[in-house]
Amino acid sequence: MSAYSVNISVEAPVENQIQEITYDGQEIYTPPLTMSEHLTKLAQKIDFAKCGPEELNKEITEIDKNEDEAEQSTAPPLWPWDSVRNKLRNALTEVSVLADVLSIAKDKHYMVLDPVPQEPPELKPMVQVYARKKALAGAASVLLSGADRLKNLQAEALRNRTTPDFHIELLRLRQNFRLKKVSNSIVGDLSYRTAGSKFAQNGTFEVTKAEEDGDSPLSPPCSPNASLSNKPTSALRVTVPSELQGVAFIKVFFQKDQDSLTAAQLNLPSSSTANAIPDMYWQPKLEAAQNVLFCKELFNQLAKDAVQLQSPIPHIVVGNQIIASVLPGIQLVIGLCHSGVSTDGKTAVVPPSSNGHDHVLEHSLHQLLRELHHKNTHHPFPHPSSGPIGPSKRRRLAGPCAADREELMQMTQSETMLEQVIKQAQHINLRDRTLFVLDRLAKDIKDPLITSHWNALNSPTQSCVKINIVAHMYDTICRTSLLIHVNETTLKCITRDGRVIHMSYESQELRDFIMCQVYLHQMTAVQNLAKCMGWQCLANSAQLGVGAVEPFGNASSCVLASPTGERLISVRCEPKSGVHVTIAQSPRKDFFPGQLVKERKWENLGGSFKEVRWDKMEGKNFLNKMELLMASLTSS
Amino acid sequence: MAMAQQTVNTAIDSLTAALKSNIIPNQEYFLQGSILDSSVEVLLHRLRGLCDNVDTNLETFHDHEMCFSIRGPNNTQPLQLRVRRSLDHNGMPMQLRYIGQPEIGDKSRPTVLRNSIDIGTSNTVVEFLTELGCRKDFEYSAKGYMFRKGRMKITVFKVFKIDETRKMMSSGGFDALSPLTHSYLVELSVLAPSGQDAIADDMRCFAEQLRPLVQLEKIDYKRLVHGP
Amino acid sequence: MGVTILLSYPVPENKTGPQTVDLLIKRIGALGAVQSGQFLVDCETFSSGPTMGGPPRTVHVLHNSEQPAAVFALLESPGPPPKTVPLVADGLFDLLMLKMSSIYASKKQTRMEARGTRFEIADFLVKIGTVTMSSNFKGVLVEVEYRPCFIAGNCWELMREFMQSFLGSVVQNTPPPYFQVHNRLNDVYQPLDTIQQYLDHFASYRKVAGL
Repeated sequence: MSAYSVNISVEAPVENQIQEITYDGQEIYTPPLTMSEHLTKLAQKIDFAKCGPEELNKEITEIDKNEDEAEQSTAPPLWPWDSVRNKLRNALTEVSVLADVLSIAKDKHYMVLDPVPQEPPELKPMVQVYARKKALAGAASVLLSGADRLKNLQAEALRNRTTPDFHIELLRLRQNFRLKKVSNSIVGDLSYRTAGSKFAQNGTFEVTKAEEDGDSPLSPPCSPNASLSNKPTSALRVTVPSELQGVAFIKVFFQKDQDSLTAAQLNLPSSSTANAIPDMYWQPKLEAAQNVLFCKELFNQLAKDAVQLQSPIPHIVVGNQIIASVLPGIQLVIGLCHSGVSTDGKTAVVPPSSNGHDHVLEHSLHQLLRELHHKNTHHPFPHPSSGPIGPSKRRRLAGPCAADREELMQMTQSETMLEQVIKQAQHINLRDRTLFVLDRLAKDIKDPLITSHWNALNSPTQSCVKINIVAHMYDTICRTSLLIHVNETTLKCITRDGRVIHMSYESQELRDFIMCQVYLHQMTAVQNLAKCMGWQCLANSAQLGVGAVEPFGNASSCVLASPTGERLISVRCEPKSGVHVTIAQSPRKDFFPGQLVKERKWENLGGSFKEVRWDKMEGKNFLNKMELLMASLTSS
Repeated sequence: MAMAQQTVNTAIDSLTAALKSNIIPNQEYFLQGSILDSSVEVLLHRLRGLCDNVDTNLETFHDHEMCFSIRGPNNTQPLQLRVRRSLDHNGMPMQLRYIGQPEIGDKSRPTVLRNSIDIGTSNTVVEFLTELGCRKDFEYSAKGYMFRKGRMKITVFKVFKIDETRKMMSSGGFDALSPLTHSYLVELSVLAPSGQDAIADDMRCFAEQLRPLVQLEKIDYKRLVHGP
Repeated sequence: MGVTILLSYPVPENKTGPQTVDLLIKRIGALGAVQSGQFLVDCETFSSGPTMGGPPRTVHVLHNSEQPAAVFALLESPGPPPKTVPLVADGLFDLLMLKMSSIYASKKQTRMEARGTRFEIADFLVKIGTVTMSSNFKGVLVEVEYRPCFIAGNCWELMREFMQSFLGSVVQNTPPPYFQVHNRLNDVYQPLDTIQQYLDHFASYRKVAGL
């Protein structure tokens, strides 16, 4: 405790009354009331006389006064509850008397309860009559007005037998669209809000009765039998908001190598027909307006994504077009074409490549937006049912299963629509290129036949193709198979021996690779053929280190010996320059004993290799030629 | 590296921050009603039309709920805890639920408001609560249908008694359940952070649409317990 | 979550806690580790009041910043037989413990936490943390996780070699006592095992008199 602290004592204030102060200053307090005394004091404050009717009150107060006087005269009561008890006893007496009277009156033997006759009220017959007349007149007027309305409607219906009834039309409209009655008008909603869209644009349309116009139709009939109206007129007219009028669609196409930022307003070529039909049947009109709304939402979402996404080449949003780069040199253009919108009289500057717009990608875009809507509404239900709606199943499991930070991060990440569309576009592009390369190769290379089988079932971002390389008529001898997975920007090739090769989107890489595979195939085929023909393979090498350096791949070679060992064939395959076949013979034909080599036996060492003029060789293809060569060398 | 300067907040700190900024949904707005077995089909049909996702099938559920209570000090009101598990979706975690005292309020409040904390837990929760000192008061099985409209969840289910004698069997006694009443219980609830009373009005409007099939209203349990 | 081994690194006589931590960081940095954020494991203890009857039961509520969505609760029940019941729950479990504060009271003084930096080297994750109990320094805990494997028996040798390379002879040649019971060496490793190791170490730190 520090030296400067002061002791403070705290006391409660004095609650009890001071009864007496003695001469020496000591205070004597009245002892505090015990619980029962306190209760008594409060109970005595209850005045039973205050609850009850006036007469009872008077009697009781009289009794009370007598009792009080009697009590006060006998000094403080012996028992605190005495007055209370007496009052209660009196009340009991009264109630018992009442109970007795009621039970006797119930039997109706000795006592009967009779009502006191009341005076009947004065009857005023004329007033009654007038009151009834007025009431009936009111009811009659309501009924008459209803009947009048029905009569009018029926008369109208009889007159216009050709036009269908307004109400039947309204019923049909209501089956397809949501309608609401707002004060005097009928208003409908054609937005996708109930399907999960969060787009802010209003999609309300108004339904009115079609006016009776006796004028002839605006456009003169163009065919002789125009007495029957070509367009069915309807009893309803729907008014669609101005920004949703007309027809709209999303146009997606690829653009090559154009670094032009010229804003081309994409417009539909025929923009006049939409405005010429004022009384179009409501169903197509509403559907067109709904489509316009859908396309606007789609474009809005894509534009938002384009602005927010970070990509190496930034996406450009100009007017009603989004230009995103898919691959270097190739751009994807997504445009919103809306006719019926009053432009500033700009005539359409349609880019040249607009003819082939990609329906598949457009459909994909529609599907992606629908998927977004679906995700907004279809949240998984909680199981058990007392859980909150909202978190996905993975998120619910994340707590009890102690999920990592990476798992939680993964749950929050999702791809935007633009990213998905770009991925699909990249894949389509790469797939087309691969297709082109394979077809070209199949056309150019006639000797081993290259066949490609594309998988029937693909995903929007991956396709697979199986390539078989066989020689015609020798498919049982040797067949080389490859499987190529075409992804968005890469190709993955898996060969039969398990090698996996990753290639980029450059088509030259694929071409070179397939060429190498072709020549490897030839080499394997020759060896297999040799086995069939009884020839022996003395040596082979798939990656040959001798000879000129190849621009791509490696040369491969093998040396074959005839069954008797007398003839040798050497085959060298080069991806660039083709096949070279040389043969040698042992014993050599051109042996002449010289100064150094004297004995005859040295002729068995075998001669030098002489090249065969392969183009002059008989045979349909390489393997056929090899077979004939081997056959001829075996027999001779 | 910038990451080195980041300090990690304790879980308690982030929870208190979340509580302060009012994003934890710990209040439940609640309305209940019941409907006889004979009329349940009509109600389901109407709910399918009114609620979201008309294209998907009816979502059914079959749950088993156990209610535990633990006595506080000084003989105060015991704390009630409920453990609920799904019998038809075995992979989902069990739910531990604390429900506070319901606030009935006056005529201006359309729904019952009560504090509700829902916690997903691992499977050891029953043993945990038993060792904690809770006693199992009762258990029942609920089987029915679930609907959703915006943030509102509507459940129509039947309460079943669990046969104690069959509990030792492999099915846990859940194959032969006997219903408690000849009616279905209908509940309309929304879990929201505190202070979002506008949702109660939406709930009342929705409840109006289900009349006269089922009257969803505030039910005061205290009056049911201490009634005549 | 991969197999995780938790070691208590004894602070040498002539050094303080932060100096030891710096030394370990330097050693792990020399091995090529990359710093990747901070971590925090904390433990709060609740104890049952006298109204429960019988010996008091304790609930330890732990949080690990590696699993931010989960709360771990370990209930130690004394009798008989003494057992520990684990529970893994959502983050809202803390709110429930607050509601039960009249029955299970929290002892604020025994709140322990291990806080420090985490390092990533190839497939390993190393966390060097300082253990404090209400701002009093208690010790240094090193947590090493080998992410690809989740059966302790398969990678104990590899982890021991790695740990000995920067922790020295503190690492024993036999697996830590946590893994030697209940056949834990051959069981699939769960995040709950890490938490139980932390709890064991915190308990031993509590017994040691304050520094």
